[in-house]
Amino acid sequence: MILYILRRLVSIAVTFFVVSVLVFLMMHSVPGGPFDGNDMPLSAAVRAKLMAQLGLDQPLHVQYFNYMAGVLRLDFGVPYQSPGETVIGLLSRAWLPSLVLGGLGVLIGAPIGILLGMAAALKRNSWMDYLASGLATLGLTVPVFVISMGLILIFAVWLNWLPASGWGKPERWILPIIAFAAIPLATYARYTRSAMLDTLNKPFVTVLRAKGLSERRIIFQHVLRNSAIPMVTVFLPMFIGTATGSIFVEAMFRVPGLGSYFVSSIQSRDYPLEMALVLMVTLMFCFAYLISDILYALLNPRIRTGGRR
Amino acid sequence: MKRLLRILGAAVVAAGLSTPVLAESTIVAPGQSTTGTYMDYMKTVYARATFAELLQVPLTSFDKDFKLTALAAESWKQSEDGLTWTFKLRDGLVWSDGQPLTATDYVFALQRAATNGYDFAWYWDFAGGIKNWKEVTEGKADVSTLGIKAVDDKTIEVTTVAPKPYLPSVVSLWYPVPKHSWDKLGDDWASNIDTVISSGPFTLADWEKSNNTVTLQKNAKYTGPWQAQVDKLEVSPPLGAPEVGLPAFLAGDADYSYLNTGQVPVVKQRYPDGLRKNAVFAVSYISFDLNSKPFDNVDVRKALYYAVDRNELTNTVLKDIAIPAGSLLAPGYPGYNADIAAEAKFDPEKAKAFMAKAGYPNGEGFPDVEIWYRDEGGYNSAIVPPMAQYLQAAFKKTLGINMSIRSMQTKDWMDGLLKKKNNLFIAPYEYDYLDPSNFYGLFYNGGRHDHHVAKYDELVAAADSNSNWDERLKLYAQAEQVLIDNASIVPLVHPVTIAVISDQLKGDASQPNAQGFTPLDRLGHYFFTHLQKQ
Repeated sequence: MILYILRRLVSIAVTFFVVSVLVFLMMHSVPGGPFDGNDMPLSAAVRAKLMAQLGLDQPLHVQYFNYMAGVLRLDFGVPYQSPGETVIGLLSRAWLPSLVLGGLGVLIGAPIGILLGMAAALKRNSWMDYLASGLATLGLTVPVFVISMGLILIFAVWLNWLPASGWGKPERWILPIIAFAAIPLATYARYTRSAMLDTLNKPFVTVLRAKGLSERRIIFQHVLRNSAIPMVTVFLPMFIGTATGSIFVEAMFRVPGLGSYFVSSIQSRDYPLEMALVLMVTLMFCFAYLISDILYALLNPRIRTGGRR
Repeated sequence: MKRLLRILGAAVVAAGLSTPVLAESTIVAPGQSTTGTYMDYMKTVYARATFAELLQVPLTSFDKDFKLTALAAESWKQSEDGLTWTFKLRDGLVWSDGQPLTATDYVFALQRAATNGYDFAWYWDFAGGIKNWKEVTEGKADVSTLGIKAVDDKTIEVTTVAPKPYLPSVVSLWYPVPKHSWDKLGDDWASNIDTVISSGPFTLADWEKSNNTVTLQKNAKYTGPWQAQVDKLEVSPPLGAPEVGLPAFLAGDADYSYLNTGQVPVVKQRYPDGLRKNAVFAVSYISFDLNSKPFDNVDVRKALYYAVDRNELTNTVLKDIAIPAGSLLAPGYPGYNADIAAEAKFDPEKAKAFMAKAGYPNGEGFPDVEIWYRDEGGYNSAIVPPMAQYLQAAFKKTLGINMSIRSMQTKDWMDGLLKKKNNLFIAPYEYDYLDPSNFYGLFYNGGRHDHHVAKYDELVAAADSNSNWDERLKLYAQAEQVLIDNASIVPLVHPVTIAVISDQLKGDASQPNAQGFTPLDRLGHYFFTHLQKQ
């Protein structure tokens, strides 16, 4: 197992390197730079001066090595669109609201989704099943900005219970978190339902029942555990997807999070920030899959890699 | 004694109850860009932090009737030869850290702009015509040779290359930079809330950089004209999108909101007294690469000019958000010429005849073309995409032209325009200073589109330096006629913004001007200092 983890760590390092080169090249091959594209162009002399200040006048490979040397020292440079702070400073500032929003969204949405999925699987073809499946389908098919708009209309405009948007005070967190929770809730409800149904039909469940085990023990100790693999597969990547911010939810509810930086860093050719964001997401996904794989092994000994019978 | 105490006590309680509690008045307003770098208009215009300009006092500004008003400058005069202007600053102006505001702060702002990266620097050459500006920005002359100097603490002298009769309106965008702060901190004085200082009606209380939301508060040290009438002003750029702004307005979380076309009928019904319209001094037009096929042929360009039904366009897909444009200048803009605007008539027969004359009867043999527009925020986001689709259908129907559409990021679009990567564009432009020369300058001697028509350049140059207003207008009208006859562009529409404001907003700025328009934050200095909140 340890050897396996080490091997995976090496492959993560290779992935990281390949992604960094690819993204760096793609980023610089897009036309225009940080000082182009305004209604009236800068004078050539001033433009050259600014490019030199940022080191953008150097050959591309030199720029790459300078940047990556900084990355190894955890110095991601200064974002062009937010001078006066470092990329790390910006990330830690903007990430907090996204993390609160995404984290609470998943932590609230996932358990409710699991419960709904379980109820649906156990009471198949009952009103409970239809309700859960209906909710799940709606959550997955209705775009999140429509859900957000609906929540704002109902709770802020008609009922006037909660503020329409904004951040800061906890009562302003409620609506965006609910909007955010819709996707994990729906995803989990569907995954849990189908995984549970699959397991419930397996012969070992019949054997357990024949042995006279209580239904509760069968469900929680055996069925749920055996249905957990697909859920683990979904959980960490989904957590990362939400924790890096949702452009739509953050825009609709005016949450000062990380989401918009994914777009603005590309639009304004903010190379240091763009690189930092992509590298960060790459690393997070690599580690999420590594952790998922380790969890598989813990949940199901048959998947253990490198182990002998 | 006991009774006396009781009476006294009651009196105190009564006094306490009857004293009005002075609530702080805060206006919550929509902003524009959700990203902002420096809180310094003179460092960057396009990437500035939200309403950085409200923190500083410009030399002059415009009120809602577009009347030029003296702010930091108390008076100004032009020399006999018309080349030198002297601006006198008013007494008692200070920075919010207590240091006096001097002529040096204004002069320094432009010296830095000319030498050290300022995306608006072209303005001072193109609009200001400041002596040696171009040479300094190109690194060919020293900054000390620039035609601006501080004669003393209160006097600024500006020398221009040719007489610029409209310079006092150009300097409405001339803001000071605190030289004493800059000497210590460099440009970073404006990137950190702790070091930003102001000279104008507001100071900075909070700055959420993640979405460029700012909270400004009344600057108690500002003694000039147009002082803030509210205690606080929160400006949130995400509210600038009507889809976010209107729900917040309806929930009482915002004091006004811009509207999209779909929202207008609902709001008209619910808040008939709260609707405010503004004809933006801007224009959207089709621009061509005049040197490449098929648009190097004036007849092809004229065919497009006559094939647009501007009335239908603004009554259908752009209802309530645009009015027809036949000229570069919008109605109400100084120098607007109704006769020229009236020439832009929809005439399908004439359009077809021009196509046939160019050798493409019914569009036969005409190459497939692509029109490029830039995907941007603000009012243009609601106007340009549906307009492109309308034009696509209209050109197909009237002229038999197959035109596809490409939406592009601003930087790619600009790159395409400047490097002539395509031959057909939809270009929007909004005024920068209130004078006809602003719009005619777009096509002068290259200008924005590499446009070179000798007769046009000659007329615009003559108009620009003429001090007689009526003569100037005549020259500009002749110049625009050259532009139209050459079909250098096809004017399409002037945008209209439509907003709903809360009935709690009072003050001069909340009411329409003589023409029925309410410019709202398009005239930020006037608007935010002439608003009260009940």
